[in-house]
Amino acid sequence: MEGSIALWMFGAVFIVLLMGYPVAISLAGTALAFAFAGQYVGTFDESFLEALPNRLFGIIENDTLIAVPLFVFMGVMLEKSNVAEDLLENMSKLFGSLPGGLGFSVILVGMLMAASTGIVGATVVTMGLLSLPTMLKRNYDPALACGTICASGTLGQIIPPSIVLVLLGDVISSAYQQAQLDMGIFSPETVSVGDLFAGALIPGLILVTLYMLYLAGIAFFKPAACPPRPKQSNDQSLLLDLLKGLFPPLLLIMAVLGSIIGGIATPTEAASVGAVGATLLALIKKRLNITQLKSVCQSTTQVTSMVFFILIGASLFSLVFRGFGGDELIEELLSDLPGGVFGAMLVVMLVMFLLGFVLDFIEITFVVVPIVAPILLAMGIDPVWLGIMIALNLQTSFLTPPFGFALFYLRGVAPASIKTSQIYRGVIPFILIQLLLLGVLAAWPNLATWLPSVIYG
Amino acid sequence: MLKRIIHFIDRTNHAISSAVSWLTALMVVTMFGIVVCRYAFNIGSIAIQESITYMHALVFMLAIAHTLKINGHVRVDIVYQRLSEKGQAIVNILGSVFLLLPVSIFIIYISWDYVSSSWSYYEGSREAGGLDGVFLLKSLIPGMAFLLLLQGLSEVLKSIDKLLDKPHGR
Repeated sequence: MEGSIALWMFGAVFIVLLMGYPVAISLAGTALAFAFAGQYVGTFDESFLEALPNRLFGIIENDTLIAVPLFVFMGVMLEKSNVAEDLLENMSKLFGSLPGGLGFSVILVGMLMAASTGIVGATVVTMGLLSLPTMLKRNYDPALACGTICASGTLGQIIPPSIVLVLLGDVISSAYQQAQLDMGIFSPETVSVGDLFAGALIPGLILVTLYMLYLAGIAFFKPAACPPRPKQSNDQSLLLDLLKGLFPPLLLIMAVLGSIIGGIATPTEAASVGAVGATLLALIKKRLNITQLKSVCQSTTQVTSMVFFILIGASLFSLVFRGFGGDELIEELLSDLPGGVFGAMLVVMLVMFLLGFVLDFIEITFVVVPIVAPILLAMGIDPVWLGIMIALNLQTSFLTPPFGFALFYLRGVAPASIKTSQIYRGVIPFILIQLLLLGVLAAWPNLATWLPSVIYG
Repeated sequence: MLKRIIHFIDRTNHAISSAVSWLTALMVVTMFGIVVCRYAFNIGSIAIQESITYMHALVFMLAIAHTLKINGHVRVDIVYQRLSEKGQAIVNILGSVFLLLPVSIFIIYISWDYVSSSWSYYEGSREAGGLDGVFLLKSLIPGMAFLLLLQGLSEVLKSIDKLLDKPHGR
């Protein structure tokens, strides 16, 4: 078969990745070795490699992706000035007197911290360190506490303005162009990061609501699993202070999100406003000095170069993959599946789910999505819906034992008294919620596509 | 001698990365300024708009090598985190020699003509009123690869050092 070497290359890169060398270089290096071998035996046309400098310059010139360092800056600033910590503390004071209240706060903060959560690990670790000890001290059922933290930690991916949605939006946008050009449409419709943000909003909020309903159910039927904070006398007088503490970060996040979804600002513009806002917050809280600023800048630089290096490695990989005819092979495989579009979508989702055990969201976005998305889109699938399905699917994958990323990260920061089996048991209800929402979204794509169509026409 | 090479490479990349990292703050401020000018005064400048692209490119292209040094690039660590320090050193040596070095040399090689043809006419912006440093921007491609190559070398030397290191205190 023509493209079978491409599949071998995929297999080989998988093995190389498992060795544990940085992903970006593993992708590029394996692809390069295959390209050289292919050139030697004459099955690979070197002109594919000559396209590389232009591809790399395309990454440099890409306007959409400038939003990434700006959002990262905002997130790191919020994190380093302990805004997330304060938010969690204030929220738990606010809801703490209710059964399950602490759990609600964890879910809400997980949702609000979306901007700082390009990477699953960061949020799960932060939340795990911040709230797990408190939850255990309050006699929460350990499994419930772990499940809530893992699920809330991954929530930030699907709630805009998450960084992975920016990346996914960029990739899907060019895949959509390509799909339409392939079909002979020369004035293609476009899809933007803003579309994806708007599309993610309703499914994201439904997800949060379902999480909360589950927790409320537990609080109602098994109150012992999530007891309230013992009553304190000064509850009332605190309320005003709490609201004052809660208001600024909430306002900031709403402003950023609102201006993007309202179509007033591009994600890049809104990100810069968010970053300035976060800096002001840190200044007001007197938690910003030159050393802090330096460390914010350095973390931002590090995360940004990490993300873009994967993009660079992945672009070499996909050039070689294409050079070996991998694209046509995947297209053939997907279009020959029984069940047509539904079958193809199902298979892609399953494969991504499994890949999610090994690869992070960013890697899957840059390596797998550019290969499969143009094919699926050419079959008539809506780009926004596809993006949200991918995001939800990967989020579920990160929660699923035994390999889910979120579980590993929580295990890393959880005290030894917590059994791994308790973590697994705790996430299962949340996985079921995820699967439920995936099913609902598959049945009613309008949940994702309605809002962007209203806003952007 | 080897120690000095390692030290020199690490320090160079650290200095470059620290320097460009300030640009992230400058990007935030500049972009914010653009937003304010556009929405409040309805003015804009292509040159300033493009300066964001330049800063962005400088940040991520030139910091890649230093991020390697501080182990900031994502790994699939299912196996890696269970390896001993020496096992990790072996992975890093193999990875640097068989993956990193060929890739960085290849990027320098393949982008050479691309960049030098851009230099030959000092390629400028495609937009009127844009910044005329596209040839510099393109030079970041081999530049990134060169710094990465250096850092890869330093990592190999450090890993070899770790392998040869006698286990202390046992």
